[in-house]
Amino acid sequence: MNFSRRAFCLVAGLVMALGAAACRSGPRLVIGAKDFTEQIVLGELLANAARQRPGAPLDVVRRFDLGGTLLCHRALLAGRIDVYPEYTGTALADIFHQTPPADAKAAWRAARADYRRAGLRISRPLGFDDSFAILVRQSMAKRLHLANVSELARVAPRLRAAFGYEFFQRPDGYPGWARAYHIHFASPPRAMALALTYLALASHRVDVIAGDSTAGRIQALRLAALRDDRHFFPAYQAIYVYRPAAAPLLAPLLQRLQGRISTAAMRAMNADVDVRHQDPKAVALRFLAALKR
Amino acid sequence: MLGWLRFLLFHRRELLQLFAEHLGLVVLSTALAAAIGLPLGVWATRRRGVRRWALGAANIVQTIPSLALFGFLLPLPLIGGVGAPSAIVALVLYSLLPIMRGAYGGIVQVDAAVREAAIALGMTPRQRLLQVELPLALPAIFGGLRVAAVISVGTATIAAAIGAGGLGEFIFRGLATADNRLILAGAVPAALLALGVDGSLGALEAWLARRYKP
Repeated sequence: MNFSRRAFCLVAGLVMALGAAACRSGPRLVIGAKDFTEQIVLGELLANAARQRPGAPLDVVRRFDLGGTLLCHRALLAGRIDVYPEYTGTALADIFHQTPPADAKAAWRAARADYRRAGLRISRPLGFDDSFAILVRQSMAKRLHLANVSELARVAPRLRAAFGYEFFQRPDGYPGWARAYHIHFASPPRAMALALTYLALASHRVDVIAGDSTAGRIQALRLAALRDDRHFFPAYQAIYVYRPAAAPLLAPLLQRLQGRISTAAMRAMNADVDVRHQDPKAVALRFLAALKR
Repeated sequence: MLGWLRFLLFHRRELLQLFAEHLGLVVLSTALAAAIGLPLGVWATRRRGVRRWALGAANIVQTIPSLALFGFLLPLPLIGGVGAPSAIVALVLYSLLPIMRGAYGGIVQVDAAVREAAIALGMTPRQRLLQVELPLALPAIFGGLRVAAVISVGTATIAAAIGAGGLGEFIFRGLATADNRLILAGAVPAALLALGVDGSLGALEAWLARRYKP
């Protein structure tokens, strides 16, 4: 009994040592991410899933904080990175210059086709949608009985709004949105830095802003997201985009993450980093531990 | 280049409005900062406590990043909130240091012999300040004012982050859409404005120097 256990330990130790030696010269995965919290958490999720891969852990190189969608896309095309997180709507609008369809499935299929033509592949949707969210204070939503955006149109003439610059400029932003919902505010909405709109809303300086639907601050600042009941905003489902050459390495990792990250889970992870100031790697590890292998 | 000029021409009305807003922010905040900073700078030459606290505070303010400063100002009543008031308060705070330093340094470096001569002539402290020290300190005072105004033109571009308008709006919009034409439509007029503001203050200094020759 004792002997067999000792032999088992010896063999296991040998296997691990061999594994470690093999991994040093083994396959390598270069993971990219854009320069905001959610992207970095998604990058860490993939990086740590790669380290935990059954069999030998993968060598991982992190190329995070890349400034913007086009930069990531070009890096991927040039083979400087193997994979990075993206959103179907963003890919269609910003990379392939198309109007993203409102239907999530159609958007994913369109993105897959466009990426295929560009020589790239995409994962199945990760499970959450990072779209624009029209945000108000929870207290105000309760007092005015607001649950969706069409109810906002009724009270908008008494409210003040502020939006980030991107929301004013995008085709799926303010002008189209105000037209679709017939919304007119008390005064023309102000343009300001996105990060400051959250503070302005929380400190009662404005009443309506447009944030990210997965922002951690929504819970922390007691804000409420109004439902986009006319489906004006296109789908922004999160996916990983990758080079076909990396597919064999990525397949088991993607298998583990696809469809498993809910909007609530992503929001909680973003809040852990942005509000509770935890390390993105620790947050990713905790999520992976909770996830069944 | 020609394409960009056509782009400017297309946006000329907006450009003019933002330019006017920008100029307004700079002029108002520099004037307010001068009204606060010049007396404080002079007072600092008379009292050590004032020198230590006023210059120390202005030094610290200078190190606060503008977005963080806006974050602090947002919830405050009257001087804070969304729009021009917050932006002007921030610009005034950033302008105080060069203006106070200019006034303080200008008066301190007045030759002791000149000051003693003024005392010997029987001038009151008030006469001494207005007729001897301030005219001699004029170049240093204007040095501070010009630095403050030029920095203000640059800093005022960040006013667009808190909804106060100005040429920063073009820059922020350009950044949001990765449109270099928009970024330049904000940055180039701001640079020209900085040159213009510096030149005008230089002209004002020359005129004052001729008028109040010590």
